[in-house]
Amino acid sequence: MAVTIHDTLDVKRDIKHYDFGMPFWEATRSKKLVIQYCKATKKYQHFPRPVSIFTGRRRDIEWREVSGKGTVYSFTIAHRGPPAFHGKEPYAVASVTLDVGVNLIAGVVNCATEDLKIGMKMKPYWHPLENGEHLLFWQPDKDAA
Amino acid sequence: MSLRDNAIVAYAETKVMKKSDRDVWVLAGEILESLLDKTGFDKAEIDGLVMSGLTGTGGASMFWAQSTCDMLGLEVGFCEQVHTGGCSAVGAVARAAAAIDAGMCEVALCLYADTHVREHNGRNDRNYRRDWTDPYGLLGPPGAFGLLQRAYDAKYGVDLQALGKLAVTQRNHAIMNENACEELRVPITIEDYINSRMIADPIRLLDCVMLADGAAGLIVTSRKRAKQKGLKKQIIPIGYAERTNFLGGDNLVDVTRSGHEIAGTRALNTAGLDIKDVRSFHPYDDFLIALVIQFEAFGFCKPGQGMAFVRDTDMSYKGTLPMNTGGGQISAGQAACSSHNLIEAVRQLMGEAGERQVKDTTNALVTGIGWINYGRNWGSSAAMALVPGE
Repeated sequence: MAVTIHDTLDVKRDIKHYDFGMPFWEATRSKKLVIQYCKATKKYQHFPRPVSIFTGRRRDIEWREVSGKGTVYSFTIAHRGPPAFHGKEPYAVASVTLDVGVNLIAGVVNCATEDLKIGMKMKPYWHPLENGEHLLFWQPDKDAA
Repeated sequence: MSLRDNAIVAYAETKVMKKSDRDVWVLAGEILESLLDKTGFDKAEIDGLVMSGLTGTGGASMFWAQSTCDMLGLEVGFCEQVHTGGCSAVGAVARAAAAIDAGMCEVALCLYADTHVREHNGRNDRNYRRDWTDPYGLLGPPGAFGLLQRAYDAKYGVDLQALGKLAVTQRNHAIMNENACEELRVPITIEDYINSRMIADPIRLLDCVMLADGAAGLIVTSRKRAKQKGLKKQIIPIGYAERTNFLGGDNLVDVTRSGHEIAGTRALNTAGLDIKDVRSFHPYDDFLIALVIQFEAFGFCKPGQGMAFVRDTDMSYKGTLPMNTGGGQISAGQAACSSHNLIEAVRQLMGEAGERQVKDTTNALVTGIGWINYGRNWGSSAAMALVPGE
């Protein structure tokens, strides 16, 4: 696998949000990762939903800041992207299991192809968007034990 | 269970085309005409229409099934569109049978017409995608199955020779199927599979379905009405189950597991069949790894043993477990609202499969897979057991 993976940071993005997910995006303005937490079951969920997926109740949801540290559950290397990503291939997208027990899918930066492996430690890389929000990418967490 | 008081009494399909040379309504009309000719039903006797919601052409219309009635001149007491993605083909048969049981109609047309290559109007981003995966360029189903297959590989190991064997087996079937997409009716080898270019590593080109255009349809009616009509060939849905959003109330889900664990068990239990009794298998194939996961989820083998099961089993039309004898979608083309494998099972049980006819037509098991959810495997899983009746 002698391909070098690229990053996709300079792809133009216009991301539409749902109102019930806005706390996530607002927190990214200060490079904070917040995840929905169900008070009734004491479990986290991602992506954001209008209700707790554990109880079905809206009132059980609150948002909690988390470290963003996690390990790679799986990843794929796109050799053919959607039109906005043409010319950036190959690039990697990883599903990372956060230490609070949810998977979060994001692009990968600052990582050599040969280093990208299931089980490797990752931490957030915050990429600024034009509207002041940041888009989370994954980068290797070299300080992790 | 009462679905089995009903039967599929006729099937029809167009040839799968890389891109249709005619409108989707023309294809729908050809299917209707063929089914009327085959059954002897008058158009006025068709009082139910069940369509698949898995349609690129119809995907922008809020009134697709109704406007289809209008286009085809059908007046019905039951008008339905099924929204379980690639499970909608078998789902339509189940809903037609349930509606007949409930007295809402007596003769239902299950119609699967789509020209998503010629005219794609559908959208699939009013969900998690626009916030959570599209910004990263994760390419729809191949991207999701890339994540899935690598996770499977880490847990159990992927054998490319086994996946290649599946590709070759299905391709050989497509070559024998004159209705398969002509561009796909060329022989391939296991090496061709392994050397095909990466799309979403580890997903290769020959792991994937190719979108294509075409139409198919079935007539479902009560066995009583079929008998009155003198229709001798009856294919009976003796067991059906579906599962949408499997483990949807969990936050971390092992992607090597699917709702087929539940749908498969329930469908087989209702049918009174053990998995070892299944005589031909027609699993939904959008990616080859989905076949392996289904062998495991249905209990043909234990979890993690799917690759070995493929290596050890002859799945050709003359083998011990004939599988996707029309070529599957991967080698026939993903057309006609993904109804291809269902239509093939019906054709086999009616004994009309020509040179690829399976010997044992005691029963067949057809499955569905529908939609891709976030970081899981797939959104809907379905299974339908069919047996020939009189």
